[in-house]
Amino acid sequence: MSEAYYDDDNYSDGFDENAFQKGMKLALWKKLFGYALIYKFEVGMLILCAMTTAISEVAFPLITRNVIDAVNIHGSNINLIQYALAYFAFILLLCISVGGFIWFGGIIRTHVSHDIRRDGFRNLQNLSFSYYDYRPVGWLMARMTSDCERLSNILAWGMLDLVWGITMMAGIAIAMLYMNMFLGLAVLSVLPVLAWISVTFQKRILTSARQVRKTNSRITGSFNESIMGVQTTKAFVKEAENDRQFGSLTDNMYDSSVLNAVQAALYLPIVLTLGSLATGLALVIGGIQVMGGIVTAGTLVAFLTYTRHFFEPIEELAHWFAEMQMAQASAERIISLIEAESEIQDSAEVVRAIQRTSLSAQNHELAIDGYADRINKIEFKNVSFAYANGSNVLNDINLTIHQGESIAVVGSTGGGKSTLVNLLCRFYEPTAGEILIDGVDYRNRSLHWLQSNLGIVLQSSHIFGGTIADNIRYGKPQSSMVEVINAARLAGADDFIREMKAGYDHQVGEGGNKLSAGQKQLISFARAILAKPQILVMDEATSSVDTVTEQYIQQGMQQLLDGRISLIIAHRLSTIRNADRILVIEKGRIIEQGSHLQLMAEQGRYHFLYTQQKIDDTVKTASTLAAG
Amino acid sequence: MLSNKFKVFWDLSKGQRVTYLTAIVAMAIGYLLMFGVPLVVKFSIDAILADSAPEVPGWLYLLASWISVEARPDMFDYLLLAAAAIILLTAVSGSLFYVRGRCTAVASEGIVRALREKVFHHLEHLPADFHDKADTGDLVQRCTSDVETFRVFVAVQVIEISRAILLLLTVLPILFFLDTAMAFLSMASMPVLFIFAVLFFLKVKVLFKSVDEAEAKLTTVLQENLTGIRVVRAFAQQETESEKFAVRNAAFRDKNMHLMRLLGLYFSLSDLICMTQLGALLIVGAYWVQTGDLSIGTLFAFLTYEGMVIWPIRHLGRVLTDSGKAVVSVQRLSEILLVPQETQHEPELPHRLKGAIYMSGVSFAFDAGNPVLEDISLHLNPGEILAILGPPGSGKSTLVQLLLRLYDYQQGTIQLDGQELSSLNRKYIRSQISTVLQEPFLYSASIADNLRVGKMNADDLEVEAATRAACIHDSISAFSSGYDSMVGERGVTLSGGQRQRIALARALLKDPPILILDDALSAVDTDTEAKILNALHHRKGRHTTIIIAHRLSTVLAADKILVLNHGRIIQSGNHESLMAEDGMYQKLCQIQGSLETGIASDLAINNKGVNQHG
Repeated sequence: MSEAYYDDDNYSDGFDENAFQKGMKLALWKKLFGYALIYKFEVGMLILCAMTTAISEVAFPLITRNVIDAVNIHGSNINLIQYALAYFAFILLLCISVGGFIWFGGIIRTHVSHDIRRDGFRNLQNLSFSYYDYRPVGWLMARMTSDCERLSNILAWGMLDLVWGITMMAGIAIAMLYMNMFLGLAVLSVLPVLAWISVTFQKRILTSARQVRKTNSRITGSFNESIMGVQTTKAFVKEAENDRQFGSLTDNMYDSSVLNAVQAALYLPIVLTLGSLATGLALVIGGIQVMGGIVTAGTLVAFLTYTRHFFEPIEELAHWFAEMQMAQASAERIISLIEAESEIQDSAEVVRAIQRTSLSAQNHELAIDGYADRINKIEFKNVSFAYANGSNVLNDINLTIHQGESIAVVGSTGGGKSTLVNLLCRFYEPTAGEILIDGVDYRNRSLHWLQSNLGIVLQSSHIFGGTIADNIRYGKPQSSMVEVINAARLAGADDFIREMKAGYDHQVGEGGNKLSAGQKQLISFARAILAKPQILVMDEATSSVDTVTEQYIQQGMQQLLDGRISLIIAHRLSTIRNADRILVIEKGRIIEQGSHLQLMAEQGRYHFLYTQQKIDDTVKTASTLAAG
Repeated sequence: MLSNKFKVFWDLSKGQRVTYLTAIVAMAIGYLLMFGVPLVVKFSIDAILADSAPEVPGWLYLLASWISVEARPDMFDYLLLAAAAIILLTAVSGSLFYVRGRCTAVASEGIVRALREKVFHHLEHLPADFHDKADTGDLVQRCTSDVETFRVFVAVQVIEISRAILLLLTVLPILFFLDTAMAFLSMASMPVLFIFAVLFFLKVKVLFKSVDEAEAKLTTVLQENLTGIRVVRAFAQQETESEKFAVRNAAFRDKNMHLMRLLGLYFSLSDLICMTQLGALLIVGAYWVQTGDLSIGTLFAFLTYEGMVIWPIRHLGRVLTDSGKAVVSVQRLSEILLVPQETQHEPELPHRLKGAIYMSGVSFAFDAGNPVLEDISLHLNPGEILAILGPPGSGKSTLVQLLLRLYDYQQGTIQLDGQELSSLNRKYIRSQISTVLQEPFLYSASIADNLRVGKMNADDLEVEAATRAACIHDSISAFSSGYDSMVGERGVTLSGGQRQRIALARALLKDPPILILDDALSAVDTDTEAKILNALHHRKGRHTTIIIAHRLSTVLAADKILVLNHGRIIQSGNHESLMAEDGMYQKLCQIQGSLETGIASDLAINNKGVNQHG
């Protein structure tokens, strides 16, 4: 299934959305707010701009009030220029404030999401593979993209609206109470009802919006599946059944979308009507008071204007309050990602050793952790391994590999071959037993040192975006073009690369889509050759390469294996035969071990596998040759 | 052609047009009523200032009598009446806005639902060569984001545009009725504001696009890193990767910030225009109050109306530029919808086929002049087994696709039970054939549901019989949820061999007259393969079977064998006759023979080696 179509709503990751939506998890927001506080100046300016925006918005009706009173009371004796100037001054203040809060809010929003992403990425580079096992790439992608944007939006614009809304409401309330206490209190009485209604509605609206999103991602999944599986659908005449299933999805979508829109449509008239209640109150009470000479006509006009604007912030605040509650699960997820600790990392002792070594004089014989850089022997001692909550994948493995030795590993799928490789590379650590590098438990050595001495070629080769040359020099970015070409030659990749229009500068697309599986394997083979690793691991590395090329590679291979420790999981007989030693692993145990000839003589599992595969391979080769 | 494109979409609105119109009419009346509120306030203010209540206007009689206000009220009653009118007007216009919201949602979601179902249905019925050429990601993108863009257009933008137009149409007469000079003044900035907004968003569109691109680049680097995390670690490139990511991350941030700066500029400048307009209205209006040309109530009304109209106009520039996106989306969707579907008019046969297959002189090419199959002839009686051998690219799979009518052959004849294939309904043909592919597609549903794709109403016993024949029953039972285990991301991960065997069971469950295995057991180990072949042997005679395979063991069981190369049949016969012929088949068997000798000699060397050591 394609990773690209991952969706939180269709995947259970242990973060229960509903549990997070009750109340406000202040500790969570405090942690996130820490990201905004790095930009103290901007936060301060954002708050200032939000306040001045609100203040100027409160000021306009007051100026209007004074203008009306002036012309009403003094008639044509009053000069309006001063009011015009005052009005224009506030316009300027408003415009600067609006520009300012977008500017500073923008800085906070973009920088906070940038910083969260940066920290998340850094941590992801160090987390052990066990972390990745339970989280699809799509899950991680969702944290690093949409969650970052969502939370930084809340931090910047939520904060803006909070300050703006509170200042605006406080300003209007003060202005009203100052102009006329009684009238002000009368208008304010509508406020609690409106606040309650707003919060209730916004929560419902956001809940149904989530339902819409959920259904929408299922629709996306459905489209994806129907396109990927179109041939199967046609072959099994499933069109009508698929239409029916899809129809029930679109029905769901229709229902939840209409519900969401209706909720919003219902909210508006209720708020408007409640607001008009305040306007009506102001008109009756204010009107009487104007006639009684208690308030001026300008004050009445100001009241009437305020009643229209007073309720705007409530809607905004209610929206952000609901959004914050809804986003708490996202916040928790991303914080868990940033704070996750790697299960495999250098121990405190190793860290100290690395510091000591870096202080002492550079010695090329020594690795960064103070031990010898050269690896002479790797030993597995009674190693067992189980993935989290699983049964043992490897049982009591004992194995010694010397420098210069190549080991081939064969056996059924799921027998534990790849796990053996993962342990050797310290992608995982043994759950029992130990792995020794020249007598030292590798947990007492630097992880970075070990892994920078590895060269790995995997069955599904990973190609990065960029040129072919970039991909080959991935492990040694500073390599010269000559080195790159030499490596490609040894890997048997030079010919096909030269046939490409741009040769080594050929751009490979996302995931290297424009290359065949075999070509990708050759490139990652060249990558491993160039890296000149002390330990070479090949996991079904040439499975997609055609036979002729494979034979060609064999020559390069000998050169590559020379002087290294190599572990080769392979399918091809030619590769297996040439290994110094062959391990047969079944059900997590080494059941046979020895050279090709020894194992053939035993007539055991290896003999059986070898015979079967030889038939397969020969038939394929023969049919290719006969065809050619 | 252009009209064709939009006709598809116009047709989708069938059944929703009345609802849509209701929404717009409700909105128009709603605004008209809402505009009554400032008028009521205006008359009230003027009355208050004049300190005498005027006569109740005719249209308020009903309300007046309802709250028992007399035709010639005193001031308090008059204000009470005004307040009641304000609340009533707002409540009624609010209800009409509710009607607008509801009708818009029903109509637009109805249209979009029809569009989604149409696209989905259409995609399933497009010919195979469309899907060969199309890129899945791009298609999904069109089916989702482009549909969403269209949805926003019908649900929001159409309404926003009509709202702005209706606002102007309803407010202008009122303004001119109140005061001509003030009306002209209040409209002064509208064209400027509107043009400014349109120009700005046209320009900023480019920036929106570059932000999207920066985000796409960021996502790509992230995805590459996460999917290739093993390689990153293995080459200890975490630092380089972090730097690479940092560049993209910063670029995305800066592009976004650039956009923010421009939006900041836009909003403060357009605020300047809007507020200056309001300020000018206030000061000039106040001046006319001074000169006695304007009442304070009217000034209030103008200020309120201006506030109601000016913000939607400012918004309209954005809405119009966004609508441009909808046109692009409609075009991208119609590129799919205007591709003709596979023909469906051919008749179905009322009965099950017996399974006789006859081909004569069949040729086929995807592109003219580059034939994939040439002059293929074969004959199979019901129940017979045909094996096809041949190197990759020799046309084996295309032959299968022709039989399924995924493609239509261009020359020669193909007959099923003596009926010309092209005269039979595609769905009927496919219902008579089961295929198992090398890389089978499984739906992300439970294993049981995937199996029942073959036969929807199959009972558990039938399902188990099929899974046992395909040697997959034990594996399925070993999963913690057994047959109910989900396939895919949320469920069990299946190996290639397991997928192939589930696909085989699915095909057997269908129990078709014709069964095709296209390299369908390549990922199954040899032990299991032998068991499956044995099970198939027991079913011999139930299906006419075509097996495409590499292994000789598979081929031996066949009644007839074809060897294909470069799209042509180069050899045909059975095992005995082909062994007797000098050709590719014989060569294959010889290699297998020499292989056995090779292993024997390996062992001989080995024994010698052991002896030497001994």
